[in-house]
Amino acid sequence: MPFSLKKTKSLIILLSLIFFQFVLISIQVPRGDETNYFERVIFSVFSPINNGVVSVFRGIGSLWKGYFGLHRVQKDNQRLQKEVFRLNQENSLLRSMLRTSKSEKEMLDLLIELEGSVLPARIIGLDASNVWKSLVINKGSLDGVKKNMVVLDKQGHLVGRIVDPVTFKQARIQMITDTESGVYVIPQGKNVPGIINGIGNGQCNLEYIHATDTLIVEGDRLITTGFDGIYMPGVLVGHVVSVVENTSLFKEIKVVPAFKIQNLDLLAVITVDVNELF
Amino acid sequence: MVMKDYIGMVLSVLVAFLLYSLLAKISVSLLFLFNFFSLIVIYFALEKGEIYGAFLGAFCGLLQDSFSMSVFGVAGIAKTIVGYSAGYFSSKINVTPIRRNFVFVFLLLCVELIIWSVLYSFIFSERVNTGGGLIFFQPLITAVLGSLVYRFVRKLKSSKM
Repeated sequence: MPFSLKKTKSLIILLSLIFFQFVLISIQVPRGDETNYFERVIFSVFSPINNGVVSVFRGIGSLWKGYFGLHRVQKDNQRLQKEVFRLNQENSLLRSMLRTSKSEKEMLDLLIELEGSVLPARIIGLDASNVWKSLVINKGSLDGVKKNMVVLDKQGHLVGRIVDPVTFKQARIQMITDTESGVYVIPQGKNVPGIINGIGNGQCNLEYIHATDTLIVEGDRLITTGFDGIYMPGVLVGHVVSVVENTSLFKEIKVVPAFKIQNLDLLAVITVDVNELF
Repeated sequence: MVMKDYIGMVLSVLVAFLLYSLLAKISVSLLFLFNFFSLIVIYFALEKGEIYGAFLGAFCGLLQDSFSMSVFGVAGIAKTIVGYSAGYFSSKINVTPIRRNFVFVFLLLCVELIIWSVLYSFIFSERVNTGGGLIFFQPLITAVLGSLVYRFVRKLKSSKM
């Protein structure tokens, strides 16, 4: 008898826990674009721990390299890497501006505005359910990070945009490879706009290209148009890897993003309002 | 359960958290192969029983969900069931021998993967990212690692006695 009581008790606990989590799921679905308070609290609690863990590892790694490696060479290398990073971002933004055909005066004004608009950030977390969905960075609202800010990699390729939740020192990035992401793009030098959607496996689809369109071919470089009001125009998004014609109204076009996930470490958050600049 | 056990449990979860972050730094592919949170849940369920297994499963699952832009509770439910099952079945059958322990952990991890995949597909209406098939090796590799760690910990405990 006591055994069966114990068994019943444990079963009730199991069912309660499962019920609690089903309730939890039901209050989150459908979530839409906004995060709920529960998600925000959990993110705020756990992301600093994650940040701490990554910082400790980085600290230990730096200590090792700093003391046992060539200290001076390392410092020079770090300085040069930062310089290259900054120049790459500047170059990318300038190229974007050139494509929008600004006058020299406007360009100079923009350059002044752009100074200090690139915020370097490090990745402290990847999405456990799908690494192509989202990233967490170690910069937050205290550093000036806001929702919908554009995020580029070291080479100035588009990675994604900032989404909720943004806490004081952490923020989440929705990658362009996420299935819920959408970026308005155009093949470089061709006037065929379309929308890139992630398909969840590291690749994207280029949607809404009419079946009769013959301009898009394999190898085309896709750049942002800025029509979506989030991403500034002229940033390299990816390359077309296959164009398939089928019976549907639109072509089936596969795209590989320009960023390489294995090289993502340092990212650039563009802290200026791109809509005002371009 | 004494204070020492609670500290051990918290420390183990922290180690799993740390290893997870470390794997993500080394290579994202490794995240598909190892599931440290599940190992912690199964280990404590074997040691302390099904109730602790279920509670720890719920906690570790929510912790795993916190890493993702996912819905909270997806990994939680899968781990709660696995934690409970590990504790319940280990009280019925002896899973201490290494081979049996391996098979037991492997089966539990397979069940967890199935529950998680079904819930994920149902909620998000999209296919689970398998990491090029790597995720299918997760139960096997995690079970090998788990059995070795379990054996090591038991040896360590018996040598202390």
